[in-house]
Amino acid sequence: MRAYPRIGLLAGVAVLLTALLTGAQPAADPAPLAPAPAAPPPLVADTFRSARTYPQVAAPLRLRIPALRVNSALQRLGLQADGTVAVPKRPDVAGWYEAGPRPGQDGPAVILGHVDSRAGPGIFFDLVRLPRGAVIEVDRADGSTATFRVTRVSRVAKTRFPTDLVYAPTLEPTLRLVTCGGSFDESRRSYRDNVIAFASLA
Amino acid sequence: MRHMQLRGHGHHWQLLPILCIGLLAVLPAGSLTVPQGRSVASAQTSRPAVASRAAPATTPELALRLQALLGQHSLLAADFMRGRIRGDEDFAQAANAALGKNTDAMGQLMGDLFGDATAKKFAPLWAEHIVELFTYAGGLADQDDDVRAEAREELIEYEQDLAGFFVDEAHGRLTTAAANRAMRMHVDHLLMQADAYAAKDYPTADRILRESYEHTYDLGATIADALLPAKEAAALQAPTWRLRSRLGKLLAEHVVLVEDVTRAAVTNTADFTAAGQSVNGNTRDLAAAMDILFGATAAKDFQSLWAYYVEQVVAYASGSAAGDATRRERARANLHDFEGRMAAFLESVTGKRLGSSSLANAFLVHDQMLLRHVDAFAGKDYGTAHQIAYETYEQMFDLARQLADAFGATVAARLPVGGPQTGYGGMADAVGRR
Repeated sequence: MRAYPRIGLLAGVAVLLTALLTGAQPAADPAPLAPAPAAPPPLVADTFRSARTYPQVAAPLRLRIPALRVNSALQRLGLQADGTVAVPKRPDVAGWYEAGPRPGQDGPAVILGHVDSRAGPGIFFDLVRLPRGAVIEVDRADGSTATFRVTRVSRVAKTRFPTDLVYAPTLEPTLRLVTCGGSFDESRRSYRDNVIAFASLA
Repeated sequence: MRHMQLRGHGHHWQLLPILCIGLLAVLPAGSLTVPQGRSVASAQTSRPAVASRAAPATTPELALRLQALLGQHSLLAADFMRGRIRGDEDFAQAANAALGKNTDAMGQLMGDLFGDATAKKFAPLWAEHIVELFTYAGGLADQDDDVRAEAREELIEYEQDLAGFFVDEAHGRLTTAAANRAMRMHVDHLLMQADAYAAKDYPTADRILRESYEHTYDLGATIADALLPAKEAAALQAPTWRLRSRLGKLLAEHVVLVEDVTRAAVTNTADFTAAGQSVNGNTRDLAAAMDILFGATAAKDFQSLWAYYVEQVVAYASGSAAGDATRRERARANLHDFEGRMAAFLESVTGKRLGSSSLANAFLVHDQMLLRHVDAFAGKDYGTAHQIAYETYEQMFDLARQLADAFGATVAARLPVGGPQTGYGGMADAVGRR
């Protein structure tokens, strides 16, 4: 699909015309010098250099969900020894799973928050009520903000937690907010379900 | 339904042979045959290490193929239009033959996915918009604003017809507004890139072409999602499918862009810089994807290898432009070195889910195809060049699928297990009532 100016052809024609015109002039010298051959055009491809960097996405610092009046710093979360994801230390602070994508990168970024503490509501107490289309904003370390819109909120049994749908790489910029829900199992001191809000980059 | 219109502007008579090829190309599947009944790749290369699969059988695989063919359509249509704008009829004919092959494949695929009745309705609508794209490019080439305006008007109507067709077939799962917007964007992309190309604004032309490819590729998923039965469409939301789709898009785009930049290198033309920027954009996107999958250190190592590889392919084309066999052979040898190193890298990051020897062989086949494309193009054998390009695009989808599956499995092995414990029960009564 490239353009092809007939550079070679034009150069040849120019040489030929030069030769003809030179020949048409009265000879000042019985043995005129032959015209110098035209230098080949420089090759533009010789200047090519591949890209060796790519745009970095800054780490998330703060989560804002206007519809839920959430405005929280983000704790960084890793994996625990048993392979489960660590959870935020404080019920009023959300946490970002830092082994996964950063919000705005082409993958599922995951932010966790508690539904409650032992005494009152947690940062994601109302997550289950987040409406479709609600805005989620994540402020990042470089001053930029990634904005997402909720596509759906679902509640699933912890025994059937959809690891793939939450964490698996898709190369699409998405966000998942995760908390607990459903009934509380007093014997295990744990909620039986998880609530997951799925969001896509706005 | 309207019939295809071939305009009778007197000074367009020279378009007739190409249009005839175009019309032949959009006849039902089987009307366009591969010369001598065998592919260029099978004739000239060893068996690929990553073996070509048989015709895809599952619905998700067919949906991936729809994406691939739609993305390829936008690129071949641009090839076709740009050849016409340059007045390079040989190139335009070759692009048109490839476009016809793509159209045939798309018609057949529509039948496989949605049934013969749907495919039968789709084929003429699709064919008509291709004819008008060509007419528009002719208007640009001849600087005939009336022809352009008329073709644009026709195109918009055809796109509305196509949008209406998809809406009808979707039975309420695709709105008219969304379908119109998607189809209109397809036309706008192709016309805008043609306008920019005719004005020699190559950076704009190539930027829009990348957008056009992305849009039409993604349109494949939109169409499949809307037209397939809901249960089958649900499979397109699976992370495995989405990773295959996205990685396939990036790698197949790489194939097209690297072929494009080598064409500009061979012809040593002013559009080389923009083509180089496009392939660099794709290289950055691939590195960013590797960052998400394997982290920044691995992404940096990957990009270093990939950057070197692209430079060697361009160096080969530049050697062709210079008529310098020594440079070409040096680039070929450097590529062979890359093949081994990239294969070892991918074997390592995937925890040996991919074997380095079969990978190295797959990259060897890929590189051979790219270099033969350069040779064919440099020899002005545009038919062969387009055929190799077509097959390289398809070969890359096979490779991309295997890479995506191995990448996905590698990442899955280190994902958190189970649901998180994000509650202490202090509000259990209220939480339980919701």
